[in-house]
Amino acid sequence: MMHLLNPQFWTFVGVVAGIYGLLALALYVQFSMAGLPNFGHVAFMAVAAYTMALLVIRAHVALGWASLAGIAAAVALGFVLGIPSLRLRANYLAIVTVAGSEMIRYLATNLSVTGGPVGSMGMLGPTQFATYTTSWQPFINGVTATLSRWVGGVATNDFSMLCLVWTLLALLLLLFRRLEKSPWGRVMKSIREDEEAAASLGKNVYAFKLQALTLGGILAGVAGILWALEIGVFAPDDFQPTLTFYAYLILILGGMNRVWAIPAGAVLFGALYSGTRFLNFYPLSLVDSGDRAYLRLLIVGVVLVLLMAVRPEGLFGKRQELLLEK
Amino acid sequence: MTGALLVVTEVSRRFGGVRAVDGASFTVQPGSITALIGPNGAGKTTLFNIVSGFLRADAGAVTFGGRRLERLPAHRVARAGLVRTFQAPRILTRMSVLENLMLGSLDQPGEHLGRAWLHGPTSSREREVRAEAMATLELLRLTPLVHAYAGTLSGGQRKLLELGRALMATPRLLLLDEPLAGVAPALAAQLLDHITTLRRDRGMTFLIIEHDMESVMSICDWVVAMDRGQVLAAGTPAEIQANESVIESYLGRVQSDDGAPHAPRQSEDR
Repeated sequence: MMHLLNPQFWTFVGVVAGIYGLLALALYVQFSMAGLPNFGHVAFMAVAAYTMALLVIRAHVALGWASLAGIAAAVALGFVLGIPSLRLRANYLAIVTVAGSEMIRYLATNLSVTGGPVGSMGMLGPTQFATYTTSWQPFINGVTATLSRWVGGVATNDFSMLCLVWTLLALLLLLFRRLEKSPWGRVMKSIREDEEAAASLGKNVYAFKLQALTLGGILAGVAGILWALEIGVFAPDDFQPTLTFYAYLILILGGMNRVWAIPAGAVLFGALYSGTRFLNFYPLSLVDSGDRAYLRLLIVGVVLVLLMAVRPEGLFGKRQELLLEK
Repeated sequence: MTGALLVVTEVSRRFGGVRAVDGASFTVQPGSITALIGPNGAGKTTLFNIVSGFLRADAGAVTFGGRRLERLPAHRVARAGLVRTFQAPRILTRMSVLENLMLGSLDQPGEHLGRAWLHGPTSSREREVRAEAMATLELLRLTPLVHAYAGTLSGGQRKLLELGRALMATPRLLLLDEPLAGVAPALAAQLLDHITTLRRDRGMTFLIIEHDMESVMSICDWVVAMDRGQVLAAGTPAEIQANESVIESYLGRVQSDDGAPHAPRQSEDR
C-alpha cells in the first residue's frame, strides 16, 4: 500500500491536476467567456493525442511537428462541430459536442488504425508494440538531469513534467487574464450574456464564437498531447466523457467566471479525487479494497455536494453573479 | 422622397401563414423624430427587426443613407450607423454598468484578438472609451451606479442604460422599441427630454415605436401608423390624429366637447 505522504504519488497528482487545469482553461474560454456549452471537451484532447501518436508511429513524423498537427486536428474538430451549430441556439452545440465526442471514442475503439481498444500500443497491429515516446524520453530525462542540479534527488521525470505543465499553465493564465481584461474579452462576455445585444452593437458574434472555439481547441489539444506524454500509452478509455465533467467541476469548484479559480479548482479537485485513495484507516479499513474504490467516488460526490451547498459560488466566485438572471 | 435618411420600400415578411409585414413603405427624414404606431400585432417590431438586420425580409428594400441594408447581418447594420434598442431591454446583467456602456463603442481596435493583449485597461484608447462612457453616464444621471452589476438595475434604469449603450455606438439613426413601456412617469419625462436634447445637440435621428400617444404626439414630427402589416397613413401628429382610418383601427374615437376626434392616452396593453 502506498503511503499517504509518498512524494512521487503527489507529484503525479500535481501533473494530472495541471493538465486538468489546462483543460479547464480551454473550457473557461469557451464556456465562461463566450457562453458556449461544450460537453464533448475530452474529444479535443483525444483527437490531438491520437493524431500525434499516429503521425509519430505510422508516418515517423518528428514529435514536435506531430504535436502541432495534433493541436491543429483538435481545432479542426472544433470547426466541424461548431460551424453547423454555432448559428443555432447554444443548446445545439451542447448536443453536437456530446454526440461528437462519443463518436470519436467509439471510432477509436473500433478502427484498427487507431489500435482499437488497446489504443496507442496497438497502432502497428497486434504483433508489434508501438510507442510514440521514443524521442520524448531523452528530452524529459535531460530536463530532469538539469533540474536535479538545483533540487537534487527530488527531480524525477514526473517532477520535470510537473514544472513544465504548471509553468505553461501559469503563462497561459496570465495571457488569458490579459485577454479577458481587453475589449476582446468584453465582447466575449457580452456574447455570453446576450448575443443579440452584442450584435446590435456591431459585434460579429459568429466570428467571436469561432475564435473562442479555436482557442479552446488549441488549449484542449495541448492538454491532450501532454496527457499522452505523461501516461506513455493511451487507450480510448482514457478519454471517457467524465473527463469533460472534471473540467467543469474545476471551473465550478474554483468559481465560475474567474480565471484564477482554475489553478485553485484544479488543485482542490486533484487533492480531493486522488486524496481519497488513502481512506484506508479504521473504520473504512473494514470494507475490502474493491468496495472502497466505489466508496471513494461516493465520498468525492458527497464532499462536492457539501462544498456547493456551503459555497455555491466556488472558492473565488462572486455570489451576486449567481443571483442575477440573464 | 429625396433626402430621406431611411427609405423602407415594399417590405414583406411572413411567418408561416401570417403576413406579419405586408408591403410596408415609409421614410425617415434626417434629424426627425419619427414614430411608428399601431395596435399590437401590426408588425411594428417585425419591421424594426428587418430594418436592424435581425430578420430577413421576404421581399422589399431598406436603404439607409443611400446604402442597401436588407441583406446585411445585424452587426454590419449597426456599423453602418443604424443602432437599435429592444422592447425588453437586453442589458448584460453580469457585467458592470460601465462595461455595458464601454461595449457600445464601435471604434475599438482591442476587439481584434491579435491586438487585444496590447489593449489592457490602461491603454490610451481604453481610457478614451471609459471617459466617453462616464460622460454618457453623467448625461443619463446614472453615475452612482457605474460599478453596479447591470442586473441589479430597475426596469427604467435598464432602459436608460440600453439607450446609453446605443449612444456609445454614435448612431446616425437610433431605433427605440417602446422606450417608455414600464418606465415610471418621472423617468419617462427624463427619457423624452434626452431624446429631444440628443436630436438638437447631436443632430441624431430617431425612429420610435411607442404606445404612449400623449408622448408620441408631443415629441414626434412625423408619425407612421401601421395595421395588419401595412402602413395605414403617415403624416404630422395633427394629421394622424385626424385620420379616419387610424382612429378606426388604433386611436379610438372619443368625442370631445368641440366635436373633434381626440386620441385618448393608451394604457400599457402589451
